[in-house]
Amino acid sequence: MGNNFFEVKNVDFKVGGITKVANVSFAIEKEGDIICLLGPSGIGKTTILRTIAGLEKIKRGSIELKGNVLSSEKKNLEPEERNISLAFQENSLFPHYTVEKNILLGAERNKGKKDHQVSLQEIIELLDISLTLNKYPHEISAGEAQRASLARSLVTQPDLLLLDEPLSNVDQSFKEEIQEKLKKILKASKITTIIVTHDSYEAFYLGSKCGIILNQELKQFDDPYNVYHLPNSVEVVNFLNRGTLIPAEVTSPKSLENKDLGTITGNFIRPFPIGSKVKLLVQPEDLHHDDKSNLKFEVVDRKFRGTNFIYTLKTPSNALLPVFVHSHHIHQHEVDEKFGIKRPIHIDHIVCF
Amino acid sequence: MLKQFNIWYVLSLLISIIVIIPILTVFSSFFENTSNYFDVLKNTFLFEYTLNSFILLTSVLTLTFIIGTGTAYLVSFYEFPYSNFFKWGLILSFAVPPYIYAYSLTAFFENYGTAFTILKNLFGEANYNKHIPKFDGMFGSILSISFSLFGYVYILARASFLYQSQNLIDLGKNLGFSNFRCFYSIILPAARPAIVAGLSLVAMETLAEFGAVDFFSINTLTTGIYNSWIAFDDLAFANQLSFFLLMFIFALFILENLSRKRAKYHFNSRGGFKQKKKLKLTKSKALLAFMFCFFIFFVSFLFPLIQMLYWTLKFPENLFDLNILDLSLNTLYLVVLSSLVLIIFSLVSNYGNRVSKNKLLNLMSTLSISGYAIPGVILAIAFITFIAWIDDSMIKNLGFLSIKKMFIGSIFGLVIVYFVRFYSIAFNGIKSGYEKINIHVDESAYLLGYSKRKTFVNIHVPFLRNSLLFVGILISLEIIRELPITLILRPFNFETFATTAYISASEDLLEAAAVPSLFLILIASLFIIVSSKYILRENNG
Repeated sequence: MGNNFFEVKNVDFKVGGITKVANVSFAIEKEGDIICLLGPSGIGKTTILRTIAGLEKIKRGSIELKGNVLSSEKKNLEPEERNISLAFQENSLFPHYTVEKNILLGAERNKGKKDHQVSLQEIIELLDISLTLNKYPHEISAGEAQRASLARSLVTQPDLLLLDEPLSNVDQSFKEEIQEKLKKILKASKITTIIVTHDSYEAFYLGSKCGIILNQELKQFDDPYNVYHLPNSVEVVNFLNRGTLIPAEVTSPKSLENKDLGTITGNFIRPFPIGSKVKLLVQPEDLHHDDKSNLKFEVVDRKFRGTNFIYTLKTPSNALLPVFVHSHHIHQHEVDEKFGIKRPIHIDHIVCF
Repeated sequence: MLKQFNIWYVLSLLISIIVIIPILTVFSSFFENTSNYFDVLKNTFLFEYTLNSFILLTSVLTLTFIIGTGTAYLVSFYEFPYSNFFKWGLILSFAVPPYIYAYSLTAFFENYGTAFTILKNLFGEANYNKHIPKFDGMFGSILSISFSLFGYVYILARASFLYQSQNLIDLGKNLGFSNFRCFYSIILPAARPAIVAGLSLVAMETLAEFGAVDFFSINTLTTGIYNSWIAFDDLAFANQLSFFLLMFIFALFILENLSRKRAKYHFNSRGGFKQKKKLKLTKSKALLAFMFCFFIFFVSFLFPLIQMLYWTLKFPENLFDLNILDLSLNTLYLVVLSSLVLIIFSLVSNYGNRVSKNKLLNLMSTLSISGYAIPGVILAIAFITFIAWIDDSMIKNLGFLSIKKMFIGSIFGLVIVYFVRFYSIAFNGIKSGYEKINIHVDESAYLLGYSKRKTFVNIHVPFLRNSLLFVGILISLEIIRELPITLILRPFNFETFATTAYISASEDLLEAAAVPSLFLILIASLFIIVSSKYILRENNG
């Protein structure tokens, strides 16, 4: 971790003397990388950003940027002395200046420091705020204010950009488009960014690495695929709402046995001794529907998710199994009907705890 | 940045200490020895002083509650002829201080006064004096103070009514409530904190009132304090009476606070707020609403204005006897100087509190704004006590020249005491402006590379300019009307419109008091008209 662009080492993140997240360590290896911190509301994600920005102090560990210590027990560089920009979740535009002037104040900070990789005009257009430029913050919507604030942060060309729930006030219909544009700008500008969000899909899309913060800890810091498919703890599984944990026994290096599902084969992501009693994670895409199968369970719920249905099946042992079925599947199953599961059951990555 | 002990912290703490010193002087003197005057008073007039203060207070509170809430309700919920005019016209009553109202009342109703002249002109010579009611003494004091101060209740009740959601009223209608039941079961209780805040201001001003009660020869605790100082030279006892008076005021606050229990009165303005529609009154109801508001407007503002104008025109020699230019310049000098000092120091103190987030500083600031609860007479006396103590116990012992002249009977001393007295207006006014600036705005500025000073100068001050203007006008209004502090601490031969009016009236030359009173009303009205949009807070709630 010696040559990392940005690094947090063993930091306790506190606010008002109360520890929000303890003993956190993570790093951003290269300039221009984007990482996301994911966790439920109130867990301390914003505190982490505020501390990195220098708005809160630390009493343990250190925060380093480009090899320079920004915060430690002994040192605390003032926020105005760090070239770090934080776009707050709430409207933080200067209320007596127009949107344009607000953004230009951001541009002023960058004078003489870096060339703009993406022009001010491009940022304004990409974030779709050109119509708000002559308005005052109280005259625009929360979503527009959030995008204007984002634009102000982007034009400062900071060494590190911190975005606190940057799209929380953006309409759902507009969100994906803005996410794409944001990623495009960040990549084009090569701005190293930490994004805080509680939307896992946003985090998986934007971040090259994702940190999951739960129960005052950084539980997992990994690339999005691994966080999604290979969660490292029961807490992460529960937080991502990825499936169900069912009891099973390891029968060989490549198989295990469950009372209701029978034999399940696949590759263990962590080895377990044969005969171990484990909890197997069954994710919606692990089981496949087959009307002809004789392994049938009762449907207790069906959620329509547009492109797919998630069926919830109840096993004789009262376990509730999620099963993903494409919504264009030839027929639908009603609640209380029997639902067939294809055998043999093979799961590529077997996640057990 | 977040270091607590920065220059802003030190400055804020210093400002708070300066303001607290005279307040502490009042409290500390409670433990000092007093002269025999205490025994004399205890056995004679103390009961009368307290009883008079109590009667005055309860009567004024009742009357201002009825007038202030009634007019605020009408202009907030109904449309009737000239309702938009009354909305701001009613606050013009602030331009008439109680003592000038008292002069007008006497001038109109006294034997052979204006009322007599009107009747004589209308109906010919007769002895009308015995039929003309006399509004003097306690009743005159109550009327003068009430019509001058009801504006506090009116402004705050109206602001509260303005932000009551239509949903709340619709809910009442849905429950089958009549308009009247909606008013006393929903609207009035919901506005209770605002009304109580208005009444608290009225209570403080009433107990502190000096000019009107002195004019009507009503002995209250405040005049008692003045007398114990003037007649018996007993500062300690004057301060003890002040302490007693303060306890009286605090007891009122505590009583109200306890009675609220855990009830909440504020509304979440995000979501669920529905702009109220004003009901259009017609025919007799519209006429009644108009009559009520016009009566209050006439009695509280037009009546004293016309009376003073009438006398000024009737006795024009008084206009030429006075050096209006000097009086205007003196008043303006005090207003500008004090407003500037108050605004600058309050601004710095507010910013210090904001960036330091220090509990001690917060406590000191809270204590320092209690100066407004202390009557001007007491503050002036406490200030003299403190300066005398410093002078006698320190300055002279160190062999320096006396500093009394520098502080007592000087503009410098006058501005200091104004500062203590009106600091709460400036501090709270700027604070409410600051509350509209999200703390993230400051943090964004720091993250854009702004220092604290640059954030203060480039971000806060421009944003607060409307609040500063409003605070400046409020302070100016208070200083123009202020009487006891100016009277006690002004330099020799330095007069303002207020002191000139008082001196003439105390010499039984009411006609001569009319000219300065008229100018005072006109200047104050001008300030009110300029600031009415801020006072009524239609656009910046």
